[in-house]
Amino acid sequence: MANRKSVIIKIRRQQTPEAEPHWEEFSLPWKPGMNVISSLMEIAENPVTRDSKQTTPITYDSNCLEEVCGSCAMLINGKARMACSALIDKLDQPVLLEPLSKFPIIRDLSVDRRVLFENLKRVKAWVPIDGTYDLGSGPRMTMHQQEAAYPLSRCISCCCCMEVCPQFNEHTNFVGAAAISQVRLFNTHPTGAALKRERLTALMGDGGIHECGYAQNCVEICPKDIPLTRSIAEVGGAVMKQAIGDLFRR
Amino acid sequence: MNAEFETHEHDVLIIGAGGAGLRAAIEALAQGASVGVVCKSLLGKAHTVMAEGGIAAAMGNVDSADNWRTHFRDTMQGGKFLNNWRMAQIHAQESSERVVELEQWGALFDRTEDGRILQRAFGGHTYKRLCHVGDRTGLEMIRTLQDRGVQMGFDVYMECTITRLLKDGDRIAGAFGYWRENGRFVVFKAKSVVLATGGIGKAWPITSNSWEYTGDGMALAYEVGAELMDMEFVQFHPTGMVWPPGVQGLLVTEAVRGEGGILRNRTGERFMERYDPKRMELSTRDVVARAIFTEVREGRGTEHGGAFLDISHKPAEYVKRKLPSMYHQFLELADVDITKSPMEVGPTCHYMMGGVRVEAETGASTIRGLFAAGEAAAGLHGANRLGGNSLSDLLVFGKRAGLAAAQHAKGQTTTPIDAAQIDQAEREMLAPFEHQTGESPHAVHGDLQQIMQSLVGIYRNEEDLKSALQSIGQLRDRIQNLTIGGSRMFNPGWHLCGDLTSMLTVSEAVTRSAIARRESRGAHSRLDYANLDAQSGKQNNIIVRRGSEMILRQEPIPAMPADLQAILDEGKGAGA
Repeated sequence: MANRKSVIIKIRRQQTPEAEPHWEEFSLPWKPGMNVISSLMEIAENPVTRDSKQTTPITYDSNCLEEVCGSCAMLINGKARMACSALIDKLDQPVLLEPLSKFPIIRDLSVDRRVLFENLKRVKAWVPIDGTYDLGSGPRMTMHQQEAAYPLSRCISCCCCMEVCPQFNEHTNFVGAAAISQVRLFNTHPTGAALKRERLTALMGDGGIHECGYAQNCVEICPKDIPLTRSIAEVGGAVMKQAIGDLFRR
Repeated sequence: MNAEFETHEHDVLIIGAGGAGLRAAIEALAQGASVGVVCKSLLGKAHTVMAEGGIAAAMGNVDSADNWRTHFRDTMQGGKFLNNWRMAQIHAQESSERVVELEQWGALFDRTEDGRILQRAFGGHTYKRLCHVGDRTGLEMIRTLQDRGVQMGFDVYMECTITRLLKDGDRIAGAFGYWRENGRFVVFKAKSVVLATGGIGKAWPITSNSWEYTGDGMALAYEVGAELMDMEFVQFHPTGMVWPPGVQGLLVTEAVRGEGGILRNRTGERFMERYDPKRMELSTRDVVARAIFTEVREGRGTEHGGAFLDISHKPAEYVKRKLPSMYHQFLELADVDITKSPMEVGPTCHYMMGGVRVEAETGASTIRGLFAAGEAAAGLHGANRLGGNSLSDLLVFGKRAGLAAAQHAKGQTTTPIDAAQIDQAEREMLAPFEHQTGESPHAVHGDLQQIMQSLVGIYRNEEDLKSALQSIGQLRDRIQNLTIGGSRMFNPGWHLCGDLTSMLTVSEAVTRSAIARRESRGAHSRLDYANLDAQSGKQNNIIVRRGSEMILRQEPIPAMPADLQAILDEGKGAGA
């Protein structure tokens, strides 16, 4: 159990994307049930460091505070996780807070994760129906199919899986586990399956599924326990099958 | 003064990227409009993701007797007939189509045995009607709309707060705001603006709403002269967490009581014996809420102003099996093991039925070119909202507002921007840095929350409300003299200065409307007027700005057409 009197938090700060990072240390009075986000809120109300220097509030992202929106991912004691469910009492002190390392820093703990949207576009994670025809009563989908797809639809776009992936870096252009898992989700969807072929083709190209190095870090870190390695294996198999088929079709 | 600001131009500007905003954006894009979406948080993270229960739509997949007429009647009954009946009709008629469409776009729903969308029962709905994905339907909706939106190609302005709408004569011309991250100002020129900014929960200390819910859209609309309606109707859920602070407001599902949870006050007394000895904890929401409220008010509340809800007398395995998500959530977020220790709960501010007054068909406000949809708009839910009717509201009226906004934009020339309005908006935002001495916005916000909690909460009376109105007036003076340290670089204190202006506007509107409604109806409960009043049930409270004064007037609800009236009458006979 942590020290019940005060909580020491060390935060890696960076004023601009180009600036040199530095560390600041804060001491907060202990409160029951405090988590990393409530601590950052408290610092914002009175931004004074442990050695009594006036500083500025920490920049970070957060929204729902119940681990469903995926905003507040950061490195906490070196581990990528959601800050709203990181209870101070369960963390070693000083608590070290750092921004995710694989994404461009905006400031302090806030990073630019728009690459996920770009990657979802690359793999065509959508159903291009224009809605100008009668929709009828909708497609049938068995309970079994739905239950198989359900875990994949839990993704909260936090990008933790990309953060911990050794292959997700500036050299590979790898789309990452989240996007691949969304391909699996859309390809099993009754209307989504229409674009199956194009999605698999997208994953054959630059930064595609072949970049995966099977480190399996993604499935370990996912806060929603999405079976990401299974998705990669299944989609990988489908890509392979399609590639071989294409070969013979030539 | 008037420096050149970063400026963006769109046919349609949408403020808010929750379900309503994204659905509106998709529709406006489909019309060929250039669309900008501004949101305070990140794309895909809006408050809609927290919705659990489902989307109400009379598809009849489980109960084949269901149809739009019954859904219409249920919605009107839930709203105590104060609803805009045309909105309730459109909503009931179109929600099924919107759900099917969402599924076609890639959303996953739980299934029936024969492979159709499964629907579950929910309070106030006659039939099993809520289409759902486990208990995270909101996330599914947002993910699907976000994926579609980014592929169709709207411009998203994330982490940006709008502080003023801009006008050209009597029509809307755009919006002024700042980037939360660096504090720089930004101007949006737009022919149409859609407000999809959600609710106002942050004016209360205990709320299930996220930090974004500061009433921005309603206040923005009010400032440019649009009318607000039904502002007295604020929905409180009887059991939200009041402690520890990290989970304050978090909903505690009714299932905890359903599975045998016991409510106790500070002295350990099982107080429901005094309020409803027969049903005890399984009494209705309003009675439970009133009981907790009364215990706290009479000094028997817990240290943090709630009651204890205890299920630890049940075997741990039973609790884990019956309440898996509650067990998991409390362990993870609050380090409370509900199989061992009690929860501390109280009424939590959950949903705003009132908002911008809109035309049923289009979501058009009373200002030309300004539209509103979702929780920011009023009308559909009347005096109280049924569970599940919110997500369907977002889809049905988000689409309609997006369509109408795009069509309106087609007939408009590019709007000139009035430098004087921008100067004023800039001055307002910079004022807190110029005051050498003054008050912290956090102190004022804390005081506002206490006033709203104790005087404009779940049960109200004239004396409290009048005292609240006076106090809000004093807070309005105090916010003239806010001071803030630091710079415009990501500065939550400075952001709060702007949010306070919005919260005070909506708080005053809620209070004035609550005073004017001398009856208890739906979510508005007056201890001094405990019953329904027939005359009050025939009118809406309308709020509008005149100069710096907030004016309230009462307007009769238009007569319902005979065919709709007949649907309501049918229900009386059937006892539905």
